[in-house]
Amino acid sequence: MRHLRLSILLIFISFAPLSLSFAQQMSAPDFVISNDQLPDNLSALKGQVVYLDFWASWCKPCRKSFPWMNQMQQKYVEQGLQIIAINLDTEKALAKAFLDKVPAQIPVIYDPQGKIASDYQLLGMPSSYVIDKKGNIRFSHKGFFTRSEPLYEQELVLLLNEQE
Amino acid sequence: MQLTSNNKITNKPKKVANINTALAAATCALLGTTPMVQADEGAWEMDTALLYYGETDRVTAVEGVLSAKKDFGDEHIFSGKIVLDSLTGASATGAVAQPNAQTFTRPSGKGQYDIQADEIPLDDTFKDTRVQLEAQWTQPLWDDMRGSTGVHLSKEYDYLSISVNGSLAKDFYQKNTTVSAGLSLAYDTIDPEGGRPLAFSEMVIDQGQFANEQAYQAAFDATRQTDTDDKSTIDLMLGVTQIINRRMLMQFNYGFSTSDGYHTDPFKVLSVVNDQGLTQSLVHEDRPTERTRHSFYWQTKYALDSGVADISYRYATDDWEINSHTIDSRLRFNLTGNTYIQPHFRYYQQGAAEFYKPFLLEGTTLPTFASADYRLGEMTAYTVGLKYGMKMPSGNEWAFRLEYYQQDTKNPGFEAPGALQQLDLYPSVKAIIAQVSYSF
Amino acid sequence: MFKKARIILAFLLSTQLVGCANLGVQPWERDLLAKEEMALDADGNDLGLDDHIYFSKEATSGGRAFAGGGCGCN
Repeated sequence: MRHLRLSILLIFISFAPLSLSFAQQMSAPDFVISNDQLPDNLSALKGQVVYLDFWASWCKPCRKSFPWMNQMQQKYVEQGLQIIAINLDTEKALAKAFLDKVPAQIPVIYDPQGKIASDYQLLGMPSSYVIDKKGNIRFSHKGFFTRSEPLYEQELVLLLNEQE
Repeated sequence: MQLTSNNKITNKPKKVANINTALAAATCALLGTTPMVQADEGAWEMDTALLYYGETDRVTAVEGVLSAKKDFGDEHIFSGKIVLDSLTGASATGAVAQPNAQTFTRPSGKGQYDIQADEIPLDDTFKDTRVQLEAQWTQPLWDDMRGSTGVHLSKEYDYLSISVNGSLAKDFYQKNTTVSAGLSLAYDTIDPEGGRPLAFSEMVIDQGQFANEQAYQAAFDATRQTDTDDKSTIDLMLGVTQIINRRMLMQFNYGFSTSDGYHTDPFKVLSVVNDQGLTQSLVHEDRPTERTRHSFYWQTKYALDSGVADISYRYATDDWEINSHTIDSRLRFNLTGNTYIQPHFRYYQQGAAEFYKPFLLEGTTLPTFASADYRLGEMTAYTVGLKYGMKMPSGNEWAFRLEYYQQDTKNPGFEAPGALQQLDLYPSVKAIIAQVSYSF
Repeated sequence: MFKKARIILAFLLSTQLVGCANLGVQPWERDLLAKEEMALDADGNDLGLDDHIYFSKEATSGGRAFAGGGCGCN
């Protein structure tokens, strides 16, 4: 079983550059942001690496990403990383109750109608998108896997090290 | 194994029938369903339950369950289960009631018991304990695919069942459709106390006709095979789960099952009656050594504003010619944020197996196979129940369930001779089910 | 009664096949489906205990899950 898992992981890693080149052309759909800590829309964040995380209070694996996102935001804030958590609960109160239990040290914006989620054509929950300094989506993840955290971090570092 | 059709049931001097049955607890290796488990990562989730099942004048069972589940990270989930149950009481032997008292030999051959006139013959020495262990591992394999594998073991004192299973599930259309396929292999061995009776062998009843104990024992042993016997079962299951809309999802399963080996119940007999309906002898039943079954199952769950409706229908058919229909529904109503009630209704109807015979007629050709086990006869059954659940502030949950179950057996078209017309050949079985559950 | 059930089943199956493209929800619309009580194996112990009772008392077993082995002798 362990060998199988390892080999699957290896296959996954070997395909990673492929998905990178595939996603390179995709420009991140712009959207309006209403959060005091952030500019008025996503496009205003050009020049920074943006990590978008789509989540909801009812999604069990979603909560696993919060401690990691908090940590990454703190670690790479100087290099220009901006993590944004986009909540998809239909009721804001449910999201607030979740955030009381799972604290977020990153800005949270609310998309109760799923408008932003539609633009990004989410495939699952949670979903995340890594946007480079030029505003292109370079990586996307469906689900959040603890064992893949080093891989996610590598992607952030790669994009942070790129010239604008 | 089976007697040929030229064997005739001989016309022997009338003697009182005598059977004894130490009925074994049911070994039930109902295996895991499609690999669609979810668990909170890191913590063990424990579900415990204690169930009481009590039939009027018949069997009483107490069953305890401990289930444990843990996500070892990224949806690599282990689930295990321990079940302990104990059964006592009386169970139908298959023999018919008579206008006179009847004497039966216990299946072990040691001792006898009497059944009063007009009473349905029940074996009163039914006692067994069963242990069941299950372990299941489920994990993602690659994109949108999950695999699950497990083992089950069930042991009671004369019966052992071991099985292994594996299944794969793949998601399509953003997880709106899930297709799954599973395979289970089970191997059972049986070694009843007193041996397995020979097919259609006559029950030996000591009424003083034997010169001594040795002579009786020799006559008893002549009706028995002492080695163990076995049965192997292959189960295949194909399933589709479909999300219909934000509130509704459906599950469709097709199940194929084929089993080969010992299907006979060693504790069941048939009365051989004359044209006056009076028992002349008792013979041990015999069932086919193969059975192939198909089942079609549909389930739908609908999220209400404060509750859930869960309805399922199953159609099953097999080459014993038993066809059945089952409708099961559970309606959950949330009373408050942390309490709910859940009424339960179930209806079941089955036709008789083609070898089901409530009794045999003296002087007629012996069938290839025959059983008077009412569970292979025609019946309808229903269950009505209510469950109340409450979540504690800690997140742990208590639940209480109380249900009533009734089986009404029917004559599938046999003409009862003489005295049998005045007797209850197709009695109802009534039971109470009570359960306490605690999850933490 | 069963005829009716079969008609309903056939109807549901046909709508399933015809309407495949329209069925389903977006990933972020699973709030109600994600509830514990909406899981197909919710009340798992109840289902297991019921399966055991009816396996012992009736001629049919399985359907929801594998029928499996066992003697069902009582």
